[in-house]
Amino acid sequence: MGKVKIKRKSTLIDMTAMSDVTVLLLTFFMLTSTFLQKEPVTVITPSSVSEIKVPTANVAQVLVSPQGQVFMSLLGDADPDNAENWGSEALRKEVLKTAAADYEAKTGKKTGITPMDIEKFAKNASFGVPLEKMHEFLMLETSKQDEFLSQTLDKPVMMGNLKPKDIGIPFKEITYTDADGNKLTTNEFQIWMRAIYNSSNTNIHDAIQKGEGIAVKSDRGTKFETIHQVLDNLQTIKMNKFSVMTALKTEAD
Amino acid sequence: MAQIEQSSGGKKKKGAQKKMSIHVDFTPMVDMNMLLITFFMLCTTMIKSQTLSIALPTNEKLDQTELQKAKESEAITLILDTDYDDNGNVKGNTVYYYTGKPVLETQGEQVVSSNLEATEFIGNDGVTQQGIRKILHDRNRGVLADVEKKKQEWRDKKITEQQFQEAAKKIRNSDEYDRPVVIIKPLPNASWESVISALDEMQINQISRYQLGNLTEVDEAMVGDYKAKHPKN
Repeated sequence: MGKVKIKRKSTLIDMTAMSDVTVLLLTFFMLTSTFLQKEPVTVITPSSVSEIKVPTANVAQVLVSPQGQVFMSLLGDADPDNAENWGSEALRKEVLKTAAADYEAKTGKKTGITPMDIEKFAKNASFGVPLEKMHEFLMLETSKQDEFLSQTLDKPVMMGNLKPKDIGIPFKEITYTDADGNKLTTNEFQIWMRAIYNSSNTNIHDAIQKGEGIAVKSDRGTKFETIHQVLDNLQTIKMNKFSVMTALKTEAD
Repeated sequence: MAQIEQSSGGKKKKGAQKKMSIHVDFTPMVDMNMLLITFFMLCTTMIKSQTLSIALPTNEKLDQTELQKAKESEAITLILDTDYDDNGNVKGNTVYYYTGKPVLETQGEQVVSSNLEATEFIGNDGVTQQGIRKILHDRNRGVLADVEKKKQEWRDKKITEQQFQEAAKKIRNSDEYDRPVVIIKPLPNASWESVISALDEMQINQISRYQLGNLTEVDEAMVGDYKAKHPKN
């Protein structure tokens, strides 16, 4: 019997080519992608044939959850030269200050928003709690904030004075008297929208006038009566032109 | 884990240079890259959302009279409705429509007849339109035919895209054609999808005059009557 000689061969595989490919793929993904924005609720937008792209700057997005909770997210000017005054963070700070001041003037209640809250607020892309609870909400850690916003009805999360019904911008009527003594009504959604419209960033102001500055986003299965309150309020404050977010229609649709 | 292997041949010549083969193990590098790729693939969107612009009529009274001025022969009213299954998922969208004024003949409580009809959102079957698209297409035939002519010119490279867009816009808003005025009235439980589909049909059929309106009592009575007469199995 002859001995079978097992040849000893090195098992090293040259990974250089593989590495080249993965680096190329990585470069491709890094260059083509835009990051998903963190949103309190995930919605599937309806499809349409429209091919107009969503603007990436100077847009106020109104997100309506199927339960009717309204969240807003604000993007300021993308131009780095304007970032100091008109960028997303500067814009959010200004809008929160204006909205809080307006709310306090109209209701006579204190919001208790501190300068630190404003700094924290500017870092968040989207918001959606009543102004009165804003301070308490912003005091929470980021993970707790997410936990609060993403709670479901069967598993309510209680955090101090924050109750499940405090998710979303409220549409509760606020009655106030203007300088001429007329009785008028408004609500927090309108206060926010006006604050955005009247901010010192004139680009977002122009975009809203053109109908590009407001984007309404909602799930395809959401009932119209839920969204109607948003549309109705936009109409009341004469922001009649706006856009809705849709996905591109596929052949199957 | 870079390896520098010395060739250990049996016969070593004096003075000959030592042959060194350098292997750098790229496996960890590949591992890391794969992880990064996975991260980017999961955290990014490749497709950017599209937008559709809407203009709502103002809340002022003035527009109500303007609205009534719209010729009755031109008006089409779409009433949107959606059925849901037990889990609250959309089962199907229905479009009720009538042209001109609503006609509702009643005898006491009983509805005798109405001019309401029902159809659905449905895509093209090859080149022929179906459902609500066919109805709107037929009503806006003049505009569509001329836009199609311009489009052909553009395809044949006789005009640029910009020229085509301008010409199409002019045709859409021209009073020379018999253009419809569409009023979209979603019922409270109509799905958002159906509202967008209705607005989409306006784009597809090059209709420039349309608006979202509120339901009237007559509309509701007509839909109620239609549903009673055409029960869904």
